[in-house]
Amino acid sequence: MSDLYLSHVRNWILKSPPAEWVIRNARELLIGTLKQGPIPQHVAFEMDGNRRFAKNHKIETIEGHHLGFEALARVLEICYKCGVKVVTVYAFSIENFNRPRHEVSGLMAMAKVKLEQLVQHGELLDRYGAGIRVLGERDLIPDDVLPYVDQAIEMTKHNKDAVLNICFPYTSRAEMTSAIKATVDEYTTAPRLTNTPFSQSRITQKIRSNRSKKSDSSSPMDSSLDENGVSDMDDSMSSTTALDPDSPPLQSTPVQSTRFLNPENITAETINSHTYTAECPPLDIFIRTSGVTRLSDFMLWQCHENAQIFFLKCLWPEFDLWHFIPILLEWQWRQKKLTEKEGPRK
Amino acid sequence: MSFTAKDTKLYREDERAGHRNLGVKEREKLVQAPYHAVTLRVLSILKHHHNTPDYVRRDVSVFKRLPKHVSIILTLEDGGRAGDALEKLVNEASEVAAWCASAGIPRLSIYERTGILKRYMPQTHRALSHKLKSWFGKYQAPPITLITRGASPIYSVNRVSYTQDQVPLEVILVSEDDGREAMVDLTKVLVQMVQQEKILASDITLDVLDHELSEAVMPEPDLLISFEPYVDLQGYPPWPIRLTEIYCAPDNQGVGYQVFLQGLQKYTEATFKLGK
Repeated sequence: MSDLYLSHVRNWILKSPPAEWVIRNARELLIGTLKQGPIPQHVAFEMDGNRRFAKNHKIETIEGHHLGFEALARVLEICYKCGVKVVTVYAFSIENFNRPRHEVSGLMAMAKVKLEQLVQHGELLDRYGAGIRVLGERDLIPDDVLPYVDQAIEMTKHNKDAVLNICFPYTSRAEMTSAIKATVDEYTTAPRLTNTPFSQSRITQKIRSNRSKKSDSSSPMDSSLDENGVSDMDDSMSSTTALDPDSPPLQSTPVQSTRFLNPENITAETINSHTYTAECPPLDIFIRTSGVTRLSDFMLWQCHENAQIFFLKCLWPEFDLWHFIPILLEWQWRQKKLTEKEGPRK
Repeated sequence: MSFTAKDTKLYREDERAGHRNLGVKEREKLVQAPYHAVTLRVLSILKHHHNTPDYVRRDVSVFKRLPKHVSIILTLEDGGRAGDALEKLVNEASEVAAWCASAGIPRLSIYERTGILKRYMPQTHRALSHKLKSWFGKYQAPPITLITRGASPIYSVNRVSYTQDQVPLEVILVSEDDGREAMVDLTKVLVQMVQQEKILASDITLDVLDHELSEAVMPEPDLLISFEPYVDLQGYPPWPIRLTEIYCAPDNQGVGYQVFLQGLQKYTEATFKLGK
């Protein structure tokens, strides 16, 4: 029998109204105290240890994942209350598809239920104005889960104060690859040359015909505009040919060099702007539970610098305010040290 | 965290009251930092390697498996303004190289943010070879190859004629420029290739990037040891550290053999189950 059932009596006492009131107020007070210092803007969690927790307590694996979800709800509340703007969690790795089939389907089924719950009992997300975003390889999400994902994103779209990033199916290397690919795309296609039905030449023609209708006498202003219009048209023509990936190379080579953006202008910032977390503030804290000291393909690009990495021994379902406070204090303390160090240098 | 006079006072008061004031957890917290420092110090005395490869070999012989590729993060002291900062850095690098060579770890990558070692490659190579000679003896020292991105590697003279029991050591120098900047450079090359229509944008896959980055910059290390008091990547290349075991001794200060050993121990204990 699971030892989780044995704690019923203790739970009953802790859940009694006066005890609950006291605990809630104590937590509020603590969070209020922490808020006096600097607060991280972006925290990432690698929620590891659900299965080990289940094994240790002799409950079903999926039950462990459920408890893990409860821990997530708890953590979200703490983070948003403290004033953290973005919370990123690693829900499902692309590598997780290698797990036994029944577990994957179990996790997917759970994802459906939990996404629905998150939105329907949306008071947690709505209270802190948190919008859900799903980061990762969208085309790997099973078809039956996709509507739930879209619905969750849609229903929290109006929340602008905070963000909950759910990485689902995600790996950091895939993210970096897609960011590099997007950068390459950006630099090998001129920006306004997407397949639009509107033709610039048609527009200039129309304007010209309008103008000729309006006044028969052509003023010098008009003619200069016309010139511009013509050159513009040429541009668009030449670049369309350059752009079209299916066009044979011979045809596009002559005009290419003039149209493409210069690759020397690419910086780390360019690639960064194509990562999934482009709009989020830089990562401040990375937390991994269950005593594993690896990043395991999560947030590699984001935490290589200025992010503080914490590896905790506790398993994810156990994670609570009591584990988070020392981390936050440590972060604030290091932040203070860093500013002290940099202060005299400047 | 630092250990202040206030903490000492608090602990003494608690001791007088027969350890009733503070809970076990709090007491642990109070004594944690000095405890770590003292253990490390004691370990460093007990486990001293006496600059002898045999001692190191004996220490690592108990580990079930050894990493093939160890990476370390070194810090240039005081931003390199102190006169002996570079010497200290080279000395630390050659110490760790000697431990790796003795333990039989064939590859070591040294990350140092500013990349100052790259600017003194011949001198660094000489210092490393010198260290190994003083450890192994002039003719028994294993050959060292010093590699860095964008420069030709430096080999030892005996790189072809070493004996069976010598494990040649490959040392890779890595700096901040090999991180995001290297990926930017790679992107530039890819953009040019696509522009010249040598490849298609859709040809760029994770595989291609991984192969290119691990060939040109560094392959994925098995174990990363930070000699700082807490994990601080300092701009370490983001691509290679995917599954790297990261070890950092809490409250440790400076490069030490005991930290290196503990890192190896940690690696032995770690279980790998990619995504499972």
